[in-house]
Amino acid sequence: MTDKQYESKYKRVGQRYNRKDAQEKVTGQALYTYDLEFPGMLHARCLFSPYARAKIVSIDTSKAKALPGVRAVLTGEDSDILVGLYMQDKRALSKGETRYHGDIVAAVAAVDEDTAERAISLLDVKYEPLEPVHNVDEALEAKTLVHDDINHLKHIEGVFFPQKDSNIASWNKSRKGDLDKAFAEADLVVENEFSLPAVAHVPMETHVAIVQEDPYSKKIRIWSSAQSPFAIRQIMADSFGISETDVEVHIPFVGGGFGGKAGIHLEPLATLLSRAAGGAPVKLRATREAEFNTLPTRAGMRGRIKSGVTKDGKITAIRVNYDWDSGAYADYGVNVGKTAVYSGLGPYAVENASIDSKTIYTNKVFSTAYRGFGHLETHWSIERQIDILSQKLGIDPYEFRMKNLLEPGTRTMSGELITESSGSPKDCLTAVVKEIGWTGRKTEEERQREWKTGKVRGKGFAMLQKAPAMPANTASSVIMQMNGDGHVKMMIGAVDFGQGANTVMAQIAAQILDIPIEHIEVMSEIDTRANPYDWNTVASKYTFMGGNAVIKASKEMLRKIKEVAAQALRTEPEMLAHAGGEVFHVHNPERRLSYKDIALGYMYPGGNSIGGPVISSGSSIADGLSNLHPETGQGLPALDWTFGAHAVELEVDVETGNIEILKIASAFDIGQVINEKLVYGQITGGVVQGLGSAILEGYKFNKNVQLMNPSFTDNKIPTMKDMPKEIVPIYIENPQHDGPFGARGVGEHPMISVPSAIGNAIYDALGINFHVLPLSPEAIMLGILSGKKEILGTDVENLPGH
Amino acid sequence: MLSRFDYFKPHNLNEAMQYLVKDEKTFVLAGGTDLMILLRRNLIDARHILDIKSLPETQVFEFVEGAGLTIGASVVVNKIVDSELVKAKYPAFNEAAAALASFQLRNRATVVGNICNASPGADLPPALLVFDTVVNIVGLNGSRQVKLHEFFTGVKRTVLQPGELVVSITIPEPEPGEKSTYLRQARLRGHDLATVGVASRLKPDGKVALGICAVAPTPLRLFALEDQISQRGLSEETAVWAAQEIKNHIRPITDVRSSAAYRLHMASVLLKRGLLKLLGKEG
Repeated sequence: MTDKQYESKYKRVGQRYNRKDAQEKVTGQALYTYDLEFPGMLHARCLFSPYARAKIVSIDTSKAKALPGVRAVLTGEDSDILVGLYMQDKRALSKGETRYHGDIVAAVAAVDEDTAERAISLLDVKYEPLEPVHNVDEALEAKTLVHDDINHLKHIEGVFFPQKDSNIASWNKSRKGDLDKAFAEADLVVENEFSLPAVAHVPMETHVAIVQEDPYSKKIRIWSSAQSPFAIRQIMADSFGISETDVEVHIPFVGGGFGGKAGIHLEPLATLLSRAAGGAPVKLRATREAEFNTLPTRAGMRGRIKSGVTKDGKITAIRVNYDWDSGAYADYGVNVGKTAVYSGLGPYAVENASIDSKTIYTNKVFSTAYRGFGHLETHWSIERQIDILSQKLGIDPYEFRMKNLLEPGTRTMSGELITESSGSPKDCLTAVVKEIGWTGRKTEEERQREWKTGKVRGKGFAMLQKAPAMPANTASSVIMQMNGDGHVKMMIGAVDFGQGANTVMAQIAAQILDIPIEHIEVMSEIDTRANPYDWNTVASKYTFMGGNAVIKASKEMLRKIKEVAAQALRTEPEMLAHAGGEVFHVHNPERRLSYKDIALGYMYPGGNSIGGPVISSGSSIADGLSNLHPETGQGLPALDWTFGAHAVELEVDVETGNIEILKIASAFDIGQVINEKLVYGQITGGVVQGLGSAILEGYKFNKNVQLMNPSFTDNKIPTMKDMPKEIVPIYIENPQHDGPFGARGVGEHPMISVPSAIGNAIYDALGINFHVLPLSPEAIMLGILSGKKEILGTDVENLPGH
Repeated sequence: MLSRFDYFKPHNLNEAMQYLVKDEKTFVLAGGTDLMILLRRNLIDARHILDIKSLPETQVFEFVEGAGLTIGASVVVNKIVDSELVKAKYPAFNEAAAALASFQLRNRATVVGNICNASPGADLPPALLVFDTVVNIVGLNGSRQVKLHEFFTGVKRTVLQPGELVVSITIPEPEPGEKSTYLRQARLRGHDLATVGVASRLKPDGKVALGICAVAPTPLRLFALEDQISQRGLSEETAVWAAQEIKNHIRPITDVRSSAAYRLHMASVLLKRGLLKLLGKEG
């Protein structure tokens, strides 16, 4: 399925190519990390903490060690190596205390998985259960510290701000204008709280790592299902005290990640096991249950927003508090929290505003990056608040948003000036509102009339924005080599884990070189020894940054070809044009050479040769970004904002609480479509993933903070039967002048604000404001039965214990 | 998987019964869709696995006029979904079968397994209960028949004694002109366990039978409520009344799947909708 209406002005950019890896994947030939086998390879299994917080009194490993076939048994006593992306707060194995239900307590490497699992069952651990930190409120009281060494944790200073003697891993802030004055002068001040639970990524491939540590050279070789090979290389080098060059990271095909594989997870433990087993390669794979219970999630979040508006609908003041329940470790959670201080207002121009974003430790499963990187969560708060403000003002929610959206000449929360090159939130909103035929909110009379039929329809919409959350020095690079047949092989540093990077890069190179996309091969396995550097495969930044690097490399390749061709054709390079894999004289096109005549060097009839193999490279760096001021949050953090909007029409069964999504229209100002099929796929996939967060998904804990739904039995994601009846992707193309062909990223964005639009449509249908996700049939129904107009949530933590 | 077990596939029932009594840690394998989860999550320590799929007695799928439909313990749920006979004579059973799990699981999961697993939330028992299904049990000392509503004794517990095997079930022939339906609520449209499931059956003489799951430790046949409805005579008013009254007949709990309050509410809504459907008035 694609949008048949779309037509690109380019020959290759914007066209509907199939993914380059599609055939290999659907025929089962693609090899993933789990498929790899090495001579003497061992298999690992872990023992997970059954308690959210407990003292490890003793571990008797003797029976496990005595089991034939066991090669290594490790506990926290065996290593003090600390790992962390931004905060070094996590051990490969717990020592002294466990911090969540699922924390790794011990690990075994054995000749096969069955033996390893049997050995795990022979470990005798004595725990002393401790009272866990249940939620952010308890955490903020700081009676119990999840990390009692928080004052000494190594972290990136000036970017993250752990608070002394607290459970706050980072407290980030942004400030602008005179907030107190603005509130005092506002005609209406509205304050609300919104929240949503932790959610799982659920990639088709669970996390897998194979690691071998060479016992002689201490070099570490890693094969992993990870998104960010170069980040793993750097963090492993830091943690293990060796040079980056001595860490070798291979990434075969990856079966999805959604941010869950963005960081470093199983690799350090597998390294320790390999070391303990004398240097044998060790494969450690997460079971599906471990994927839910042990590997990180999207953080739960609570947003509290106070807004001041004028009678005619201008937002003059916003004070926002975001509290992120990051669980036991900071991981990417602190960066999610940091991002919220510059993006957490949504795409609105507000003169007076403050955001306080706290990433908080509790004794839950820890959090990491997840598609949207905090924006689904912040927009759940912001876009519901905007809708409630428009209700209170009695202004149409479309008009209200149009009065306050960013436009050229206005500034973002961090002070960035918006221009025509930034893209247009208004174009997105107008497009989706038109698509669902919005004519204004339902009246109470219309609602009552429909209610009698048992089914009530509602329409709603929501805005979104996101820019890549990345360091100011984020860089990408690419190497291109031409083969004797005039085809090009390209090595990039980003991992194509489903988003389509390889296909997009091939299209951009094919466009510039003017050769068929089939003539460009992007190497599908990343090997940090060979592939050029890329920061991380995250943030929806790769089309932009990789694209710009590929443009440079392609132009350099073309320049080199033309230089050699000019000599051979006895002219100047400037006199040569190119098309269809050939270079020719602009005036006399019969003077021409094929790329393949030059690819490995041009040979004159007499045998003399010039040029040599054509190789080129290209780099890009985040241009113009700056660090945020620690107190005011002012600065330039955004390489490219992608703005968007969703509009939804749905039907609620008022007797059961079931929702049917009749239509969802989604528009994004992506500047330029690079691959129409991939954009279509990103949008439909993101919308459905957002639908999961909206109406279904969420971690449930009991009163002992044990995870109650650690498997597909009770941790559900949408299926084909749950798809909306109609999904309409809309591409807005206001080009960004420094983007590749004007393009911006759109990988994460389709997921953001789907819950907000649905929440707003449910208000239109029922006249009830829901403040808590998910909007499950149960939540909707109990909300209706309560007779209340504001549903502040159910107590999901009050489930009976085991 | 920590269990270490022997696997045995007998050729006849006698061999099977001899094997079944070898050890109390013998588990019966038909579809295996519940057993495999128990094994993989190390929730049982199995020593022997008895595969009953090759026993002719378990492969029966036979309708005898006057006697009803007998379904052997190896018959998979998709057989019920696809059966024109079941669709025509036992619509509630057909609908419950179609609602169970996913297509792939229904290709393995057996009807009898869904009963023997004795999950309070199983989809098939409510429908089978309203048709007065009988469970055919074989033991070393002979066979016995137990009515399905007497078969369940608790969560994951039945009347089956060690050394006994359910070989089949028999669903008595319905009367001409009957109507029945099974309605359920789940957390999503795709494959999920039932939050609540309600089967209802209307006989030509106006008598109503009701079965329900996920609201008590076992699937329930609501005899007392059926009597009250029959006394009043089934009508729209009675359906609305019964939807309120059902709350006095069930005791749902709060768990990870649903709150007790929502289960109570949905039992009421599904009962009303089911009864209205039997009256030809879709709710």
